Amino acid sequence: MSTEDSYRRRWCWDRVTWGTHCVNCLASCSYRVFARGGTVAFEEQGGTIEPVVQGVPDLNPLGCQKGSAWSAQLSSEDRVLHPLRRVGERGSGRWEQTTWDEALTEVADAMLDAIDENGVESVVFEESVEGGLLSQASFLRLASLLGAVTLDANGLVNDLPTGQHITFGKFSCASTVDDTFRSDLLLLWHSNPAYTSIPYHHFITEARYRGATVVSIAPDYNASAVSSDLFVPIRPGTDAALALSMCHVLLAEDRADLDFAVAQTDLALLVRTDTGRFLRQRDIRRGGAEDQFFLWDLSVGLRNAPRATLRLEDITPALRGRWPVDLADGSTTEVTTVLELLERRLADYAPERAGEVCGVAPSTIRHLAHLVADRRCKILEGFNAPKYYHGDLMERSMCLLLGLTGNWGRPGTGIQGLALAGLDGYLLFPMKTRKGLEETERLIEGIEQVVATMRAKDPEATDEMLGNQLLALAASSGTSAPPVFFNYHHAGYRQAWNRTEWSDPAMARSFDAYLADAVRRGWWGGVVRPGAATPPRVLFTVGTNPLRRSRGGRTRLLADLWPKLEKIVVVDFRMSTTALHADIVLPSAMQYERVNLQYPITHSFRLSFSDAATPPRGESRTEWQIFSALAAKLSERAVERGLLEYVDGRRQTRRLDRLGEDFVMQGGFASEDEVVDEWVRDSAAAGTLPPGTSVETLRRDGSVRFTGLGMFAPGLSVAADVAPSKVLTAFSWHVEQALPFPTLTRRAQFYIDHPWFIEADEHLPRHKEPPRMGGNWPFTLTSGHSRWTVHSISMGNRFLLGTHRGRPLVVVSEHDAASLGVADGDEVRVSNDHGAFAAMARVTARIRPGQLVVYNGFEPHMYPRWEGANEVEPGMVKWLHLVGRYGHLRYLPFGWQPVPADRAVLVRLERVAPLEPDEPDEPDEADGGHVPAGAVSAGGREEQ
Amino acid sequence: MFTYSLSGLDIKAVPDRTEEVEENETTARSAVYQVLGAFFAGADRDHYEKARQGLWAKELAGAAALLPFAFDVGEPILPPDVGPDAYLQEHLRLFGEGRQSRLCAGYGAEDRAALEAPVRREYEYYGLSVSLEGGRSPDHLTIECDFMQYLSFREAATGSERLRTSYRRAQRDFLERHLLSWFPGVVASVGALDPKMPFSWGLERLEAFLHADSDYVTHLLDP
Repeated sequence: MSTEDSYRRRWCWDRVTWGTHCVNCLASCSYRVFARGGTVAFEEQGGTIEPVVQGVPDLNPLGCQKGSAWSAQLSSEDRVLHPLRRVGERGSGRWEQTTWDEALTEVADAMLDAIDENGVESVVFEESVEGGLLSQASFLRLASLLGAVTLDANGLVNDLPTGQHITFGKFSCASTVDDTFRSDLLLLWHSNPAYTSIPYHHFITEARYRGATVVSIAPDYNASAVSSDLFVPIRPGTDAALALSMCHVLLAEDRADLDFAVAQTDLALLVRTDTGRFLRQRDIRRGGAEDQFFLWDLSVGLRNAPRATLRLEDITPALRGRWPVDLADGSTTEVTTVLELLERRLADYAPERAGEVCGVAPSTIRHLAHLVADRRCKILEGFNAPKYYHGDLMERSMCLLLGLTGNWGRPGTGIQGLALAGLDGYLLFPMKTRKGLEETERLIEGIEQVVATMRAKDPEATDEMLGNQLLALAASSGTSAPPVFFNYHHAGYRQAWNRTEWSDPAMARSFDAYLADAVRRGWWGGVVRPGAATPPRVLFTVGTNPLRRSRGGRTRLLADLWPKLEKIVVVDFRMSTTALHADIVLPSAMQYERVNLQYPITHSFRLSFSDAATPPRGESRTEWQIFSALAAKLSERAVERGLLEYVDGRRQTRRLDRLGEDFVMQGGFASEDEVVDEWVRDSAAAGTLPPGTSVETLRRDGSVRFTGLGMFAPGLSVAADVAPSKVLTAFSWHVEQALPFPTLTRRAQFYIDHPWFIEADEHLPRHKEPPRMGGNWPFTLTSGHSRWTVHSISMGNRFLLGTHRGRPLVVVSEHDAASLGVADGDEVRVSNDHGAFAAMARVTARIRPGQLVVYNGFEPHMYPRWEGANEVEPGMVKWLHLVGRYGHLRYLPFGWQPVPADRAVLVRLERVAPLEPDEPDEPDEADGGHVPAGAVSAGGREEQ
Repeated sequence: MFTYSLSGLDIKAVPDRTEEVEENETTARSAVYQVLGAFFAGADRDHYEKARQGLWAKELAGAAALLPFAFDVGEPILPPDVGPDAYLQEHLRLFGEGRQSRLCAGYGAEDRAALEAPVRREYEYYGLSVSLEGGRSPDHLTIECDFMQYLSFREAATGSERLRTSYRRAQRDFLERHLLSWFPGVVASVGALDPKMPFSWGLERLEAFLHADSDYVTHLLDP
C-alpha cells in the first residue's frame, strides 16, 4: 500500500451513525460518526437541521472542537477498560483487575451490609449532569427501587440561578437560542460564550450583522469581549451595583416601562411600613387568606391583586404613596408600594456612587441604561453569577433591569441561562410498572386526576404551578436530597460554614442556628437525608467527580467523608481523581459505544440521539447494563443471605429478591434500545415529540425538534407556545396571555418579605460585597469554563491537550506579575486560610490587577501534589437559601436549595520554585508544609 | 431535565375507564375502519354472500351514519352472473394472497422484514400483538385498518384530553406514514387490472375515506 493510499484509508469507513456527546454543556450537537472495522475513524458535524423560520439563521452546523475530537478520547490513556479493585491504600494507585461478577458481588455485599446495619439511606448516589439520560436513568432507577439517597445534582454542581428563581419562581427561562438573532442589544453578562457556548455563538455574530449591539460586562477582557461592540470591565462581584445603578437611571430619567413592570411584577403591591411585610388578606380580615395581596386603586382604594391573571382589569394601581389601612385587630397601619420602597433603595445607586463600587464610569452606566431602555435586550447569562455568594442579588438586579424595560416575553429579550426542556417519557418511566402505552395511558390519566384534585383546591393555579406542585409531591417521597445537609453532617463543611468572617456580616446568628431553625420549622421536611444519625456507608459516583468538583477540596473530603465510607464505587470511562481514590472502579462505555440521549434543553429544543458506532472497548459496559446487573446481583446475594426485605427511611417495605426483575420490568427493558424507544414513544403520546418518533426514527434522523413543553415542571417553566415554525420565546405566556408567575405573589417578585430576607436587608435587590471567603487576602480568584474541555470530561484528550499548555494555569495580570516578580511560565502558589495549590502562571494583559483566573476542569492530579484549585474554596453556602415553605422558595429537585459559592474567594499569590521533574507528585505524609523551600512570599495579608 | 425524577410519585389509581363508549362521530370513524378492513381481509363464501346480498354496503352505511364529514357509501352491485368461484378467482387475480398480496405495504419490496419491523413495533407499543393468521403480514391492509380502528376507538374512550389529542396525532401520523403512503398506489395498480364489483367499490371507498379521515383529523389538530 502506498503512502497515499494509507492516507486515504484513514478517511474510509464502513459504517455511519449519529452521535452526540451527552455532556453537561447545554448543547445537543448531532455528529455523523464514521467507523471502520469496529473502530471510530472520525466524526464530523451533521449540519442537517432544518431551518425553523425563514429569516432567522438555523442551528447548523452545531459542534465545537471538543465534540469534533471526541473520538480521540475513545482510546485515551486514562480510559478504564476492566473492573478494578483497590489493593493498596485508597489513592495509592494500587489496583487489581477483577471480573464483573466479583466486582458486583463485592459492591452488592457492601450495599446489603449497609442496608442491614444502617438502613438504606446509608447508600448514597451522587446525581450527575454528565453522561446523558441513559446513564442517569440507570442509577436513579436502582436508587429509586431501593429507596436510597441521591444527592441533588444542582446542589452539587451549582448551576442554579437562585436570583432568577427568587424573582420568577423558576430558573429555566431560556428561549430557543435562535431568539438571540432577534435581539437589538445583547448583554454578555457573567458569560463568555466564545468559550462556553461555541455551537451557538454564531447567533451573536449574526445578530450583530443584523445591527444588534453586543456588550460584554466582565472583569476580564475575555474571548467574547474581543468581538463585542462595548466592553465594560467591572470589579468582580459588583454586578448588582451596576444593574441597580442602571435601574436608578431608568427611574430617575423616567425611561422605565412602568406599564410593563406593573403588569408583570409586584412593584405595585402594597407593603406594610410597620412590619415590612406584604399586606395580606389575613391582616385585614380574620380568617383571611395568607396569599391574597393588595393594590391601591386610585379610584376605589384597597383592591385584591388578581391571582388568576396578571391583568389588572379595571384596577388603576397607585405606584407611589402611603395610605392608612384598618387591620383585623382594630388597629391601623400604613401601607406603601414596592416601587416606592425600591426607589428609596435605588437612591443609593446613583451612577456616581455605584460607579465607585463597581468600577464603571457613571457616563458608561447611563449609556448602558439608555441602551437597555431603548432596545430589545437579552442578557446572555451563563452559570457564573450563581457561583458568587451573593449571585442571587446580582441576578435579582439584572432581572429588575429587564422588568423595568419590558424585556422579557417578547422576541429577542429575556435572560438566557438554564434551559431545561421536558421529555415526558423519561419522567414517566420511573413510575411505570410495565412496558407499553396502556401503562402510559394509566399514568397520564392518573396524573391528570392528581392535578385535577390540586386544581380543585386552587382553581386559579396555572398548569405550570400545578406542575411544580406535582414535582414537589414527587420530591417528598423521592430519592433526591439537597446535599447541603449531607455536607453539613457528614462531609466536614460545618466548621467552614460557621466561620462568620467568611460569611455575610448580616448573618446575625451562627450557621448552625439557622440550619437548625430551618429544619425545626419543617422547611426541608423529608429531604434531610441521610440524617445526622445515619452514617453514609456506600457512595456511588457515576460520571461525577467530587474530589475535583467539590468546593471545599479534595483534602476536606478525604479527611472528613472518605473515612466514613466503607465502599466507594466509581462508574466512569476514565480514571478521574475520584476514581483514583475509590475502592471499586467499574468501566462504563463512552458515547459512540452505546445508545444514549442528550438531556433535553430549550436552547436547541431538539432531542439528540447517540448511537453505538462500535462495541464498548475492553470490558466496559453501559450504565444500564451495569446497574441492571447490580440489581440482579443484589437479588441473588440477598436471597443467599436471607435478607429478603427491609423498611426504608420512609417506612416503606422494600423487597430485594425481585429487585433484578423489577429493574428491567420483568424483561421488558433488557436493552437501551428498548428504553429509548419507550421514552420517545411515550413523549410522543404526551405530545412532547412528533407522533411516530421512535428509536428507529432517531437512528435515521439523529435528532428531532420538540413539539411541546411537556406535562411537567421543568419544561413548562419556559412558558411559551410551541409551533413547528416558531422561535420559542420564553415567558410569552406571561406577557401575551397574562398568565401569572409561579411565585408567592403570582407576579415576578422583587420584594421578598420573608423575615430572614428582611433581617438580611435583602427583601429588595441590593449590592453586597462578596464575603471574605478564605481570609483577608489581596487577590480575588474567579473562575470560568475553559475553551478546551467540558468540565473535566475532555482532560484526557491528547488532541485537545495539544491545543493549549495542557496543564492548569493561574492567569495573572501583567501588573501583578511584575510587582510579584512572576514571569509567564513560573510556578506560582495560590493559598488562603482554607488551603493551597500550585500551578503555572499565565501572565496576560487581559486580567485586571487583583484578579486571578483558574479555568475549571483540570483534574487535581494534573496539579503538583494533586492539590487542585478547589483546595482554596471553602464552599460557603448562603444561609438565606435555607429558607423554605415561603411560596416559591421551597425545595424542588434540581431547584431551590443552598448551593456552594466559589467565585471571589480571596487568596494570595506567591512565586515558587518549579517542582523538580523527579519529585513525587503526591505529598509525603511527613511533609506537613505545603510551601516548597525557597518560596517567595508576595501579596501579604491585608490589614484587618 | 438533568436529573429530574418523578420516581417518588406513586400513581396507583387506575382511572375509571369504561370500554362502553357511547356512539358518536369518533366511534363511527372506528366502525368504518372495521368494516372496510374486514372487506379486504380475504374472500370466502361468506364474503361472497355478503356481497351478493348487498350487506357490505349496508354495513358500511350503518357504520358511517354518524361520521362528521360527508362520505358517499356508494352501491356495489355484484353482477348476477358471478358465482362464488368466479368471485374468489377475481379476488385472487386482483390481490394475490398471503405475504405476496398486493394489499401489503411491502408487496414487491426486497427487504420485507425491514419494512415490517417499524409497523410491528408500532402495534406492540400500543399493546397489540399481530396475528399472522392466513399468512398475512403486519403491513397488510386489514391489519393497518384494524390499527386505525383501535386508535380511533381509544380516542373515543379516553377521559384525557391530552391522550385524545395524542391518539389523533397518532392516527394522522399513521395515515401519512403508512396507509396513505402506499394504498393509493395499490388502487391505481389494481385499477389497471379492471377490477370487478364489489372490489373496485371497496378500493375506491377506502381510498376516499382515508383522505377524508386524514383531512378531518388534521383539522381537529390544527383547526
